[in-house]
Amino acid sequence: MLTIESLKKTFITRDGSRVNAVGGVSLEVETGKLLTLLGPSGCGKTTTLRSVAGLEKPDEGRIVIDGEVVFDSREGINTPANRRGIGMVFQSYAIWPHMTVFENVAFPMRVSQDRKYSNAEIEGMVARALDMVRLGGYQTRSSTQLSGGQQQRLALARGLVKEPKLLLLDEPLSNLDAKLREQMRFELKRLQLELGITTLYVTHDQAEALALSDEIAVMDSGHVIQRGNPYEIYHKPITEFVAAFIGSTNILRGRVENAMAADGMGSVVTAHGVLRCSFSRGAASEDDVIIVIRPEDVVLSAEAPADPQNAFQGKVANRIFLGEVIDYLIDSGEEELRVRARPEWDFAIGAEVHISLPPEKCVGLADRHETAPAAA
Amino acid sequence: MVAADPTYVPRKNALMKFAEWLTLGRFVLIICAIICAWLVFVPLVSLIYVSFAEDTPAGPGALTFENFINAYSKDYLPDLFITSLEFAVSSAIITLLLGAGIAWVVERTDAPGRNIFHALSLVAFAVPGLLIAMAWALTLSPNIGWGNKVLQAVFGLDEAPFNIFSMGGMIWTLSSHYFPLAYLLMGPAFRVLDIRMEEAAVVAGAKNWQVARRVTMPLLRPAILSTLLLLFVRAIEAFEVPLLLGLPSKIYVFTTEIRFAIAEAPPQFGYSSALGLTLLVICILGVWAYRHATRDAEAYATVTGKGYMPTPIKLGAWRWPVTIATSLVFVAALGLPLIALLWQSVYYKTIPNVDLVADFTLRNYAYILEYPVFLSALKNSAILGASSATLVVALGFVMAWMVQRTNVRHAWTLDAMAFIPIAIPSVIIGASILFAYLMLQRYLPFQLYNTLGILLIAYVTMYLPYGMRFASGGIIQIHKELEEVAEVSGASLMQTFRRVLLPLMSPVLIAAWLYIFVMAVRELTASIFLAGPHTQVLGTISLTLWEEGGSYGTVAALSMVQIIPLIMIVAVMRHMENKISRRG
Repeated sequence: MLTIESLKKTFITRDGSRVNAVGGVSLEVETGKLLTLLGPSGCGKTTTLRSVAGLEKPDEGRIVIDGEVVFDSREGINTPANRRGIGMVFQSYAIWPHMTVFENVAFPMRVSQDRKYSNAEIEGMVARALDMVRLGGYQTRSSTQLSGGQQQRLALARGLVKEPKLLLLDEPLSNLDAKLREQMRFELKRLQLELGITTLYVTHDQAEALALSDEIAVMDSGHVIQRGNPYEIYHKPITEFVAAFIGSTNILRGRVENAMAADGMGSVVTAHGVLRCSFSRGAASEDDVIIVIRPEDVVLSAEAPADPQNAFQGKVANRIFLGEVIDYLIDSGEEELRVRARPEWDFAIGAEVHISLPPEKCVGLADRHETAPAAA
Repeated sequence: MVAADPTYVPRKNALMKFAEWLTLGRFVLIICAIICAWLVFVPLVSLIYVSFAEDTPAGPGALTFENFINAYSKDYLPDLFITSLEFAVSSAIITLLLGAGIAWVVERTDAPGRNIFHALSLVAFAVPGLLIAMAWALTLSPNIGWGNKVLQAVFGLDEAPFNIFSMGGMIWTLSSHYFPLAYLLMGPAFRVLDIRMEEAAVVAGAKNWQVARRVTMPLLRPAILSTLLLLFVRAIEAFEVPLLLGLPSKIYVFTTEIRFAIAEAPPQFGYSSALGLTLLVICILGVWAYRHATRDAEAYATVTGKGYMPTPIKLGAWRWPVTIATSLVFVAALGLPLIALLWQSVYYKTIPNVDLVADFTLRNYAYILEYPVFLSALKNSAILGASSATLVVALGFVMAWMVQRTNVRHAWTLDAMAFIPIAIPSVIIGASILFAYLMLQRYLPFQLYNTLGILLIAYVTMYLPYGMRFASGGIIQIHKELEEVAEVSGASLMQTFRRVLLPLMSPVLIAAWLYIFVMAVRELTASIFLAGPHTQVLGTISLTLWEEGGSYGTVAALSMVQIIPLIMIVAVMRHMENKISRRG
């Protein structure tokens, strides 16, 4: 449905230096799916999205929307944004304050070049779009009277009103407060499933990406580092960057003792002894590696565990009670481990604890910061 | 068909390549740049050229340094320098004290009547400088000034206590004309000054004077410095006040000296432009320093911007004394001259009489409203005001949009070019446009000299920086995504302009238009050089009527019929201003 091939974009800053915003990004999104571009600010995700919208002209590459080439640097094709027929929601919502709710939503039909819309038609389309985002009956309101969440919905209605083939969402939830954001997350998911609309979503919020996406592309420094479904991105990160960016994680440094065996497991010498772990990609003996493990996967116990594999001792350095969980900071000699434990694992500060790291939850990664684009 | 061969690339000739390179954006940029460059550089180049050329009856002749040698060897030149600087520096300081005082009362205290003070400052802005100078002459002239007469009668003095035709009189008059500018510049500085910074100093144990010296003053210093610099530049290029009040006592400054050198027969173009270039350098240095200082001021503003809360200082028992003191400033600086004009306008005799009822007359107004010269000047000023405001706002809007919104390279040069006229005194604009179009006349297919066209060129040049400033400010206020979402929704560039940008910008554009219209109608300095027999404007006929010295009543009536509509326009501007700030 949407294909992006080797997209490149360089900006020249005011002091004359060049910044590689996007350094060769290739992606496809299947019809009806939601792909999230996830990464820190400045990673090129917004530039990629704006290139798809036609608001930014890439230096190189090709963009195809629904079989139609809208950008091709070699052929010299660059369809202007107003002819690409996409829906888009901006971070600031970009609700026009001088128009009513109705006029905001009716705008895409009012300026339509390809055909004229009758007033009755426009009224029907606006009503349907507003109903969809649960703003039915708000037509005559002034758009400035709406609350933040309502403006958000209004922006969405405007993006959806012409039933575009492709919907682009640029950090649409980042201006909402935490509670509203969670509510809108469900709303977005519902709409996207209901309408089956192909969506490209940009965010820096990993929780949002995990909740909404069919597929996530993690970006850093203008490159896609890893692509996969939310489960893979969370549990099988292929670089330290991805592991550290998606949720909090523990990172243990070591050296490979036994390379990956047939079952995908190997062993690594660390400060806590030899740890067994799975490797997300091949690693040879003597390679420097890191092992990442999520805080909620670490097991704490007062007694030594029956299986001494991947187990060592530590001391509770600090604890924070969060209600449904307790977060511990465990001093294990060399490193501090973050552990998210169920409330029944109740240890006081200073208590000696046994730590075990389930081997299947430990992921071994080559110990360098990877920026090379992942093979698609 | 050649399309069968995918490697086929048609060969392009130079014209085709040019056509491809020339996008709409670049085309508009180039047109704007040409207009801008023409407006800004033609007068500057002609000024420099004339100053280095020999004066001959046929126009500028061979290149020479004679003009500079001539100018700098005059034995009165040091005096001219010192007088100009004394006038400019003193006026800047007095103006700052008045303006900053009012700004402090309006922005930082809970004194009653603060809104009225704000409105009155704008009213003061509407009154043309020439009329302020006339009003003060009518009030404090040693011979005819009614203020002096009153004081003499009350205190039984033999001689008039005040002489407005003096350095002190000039400084006071200019300050009473410019203090609204100082107020408008200092207001925002007080507004962004977070009172909690002062409170933090008090909590840390500082006494009041320590807070003022160690916290408040250092925070305000960039704003004070930049305001002083701008006021200095405005004062050294001031023309009306030295002309009306300095001349009778033979006090000359740069601007008046330049004017008289050109008015001589034969006109001394070379000498006056050599002086003009000197004045220009002083102004450019001042504006450069001002830009430098405001950069610092912006750095301070970002520091204070966060978590700011406007908490007025509780004056307590001092509330009314502060209000009364501020009111007295307005009475002295604005009330007295306006009363003088109003009073004079309803009396036919030279000196307003205490016998109010018997001598009251409206014949001054009747005379003015039937005076053909006035009607034609009114028409000219209105045409010039409306057309220059329209052109400047349109040009400023397009250029500011190019600079702020497009990534067309070199668009910033428009910004830089359009700012240059800020540094060029109106006297120099008038004189150098006169030189330039006298020289260019024979190459032009149409007559510009002695037409409204040449005045229009001067006005557009002078007000370009203001148009650009207003428009840039307005565009920055509008989030870029509001335009982008229109584009993504399918709107063409023109539809985005018409349906999104223009409606959102309209309050700013209307305010800018009115502001420029007011300035254009008030204009005198450049117009003196450029107005021909049939292209007199309100400023020039007011001056002529004054200089002829016929009836002061007529001049006063002429002043009032200018001031009242101008005040009404400023009231509309204030309304627009409120609209803008409410939305922001």
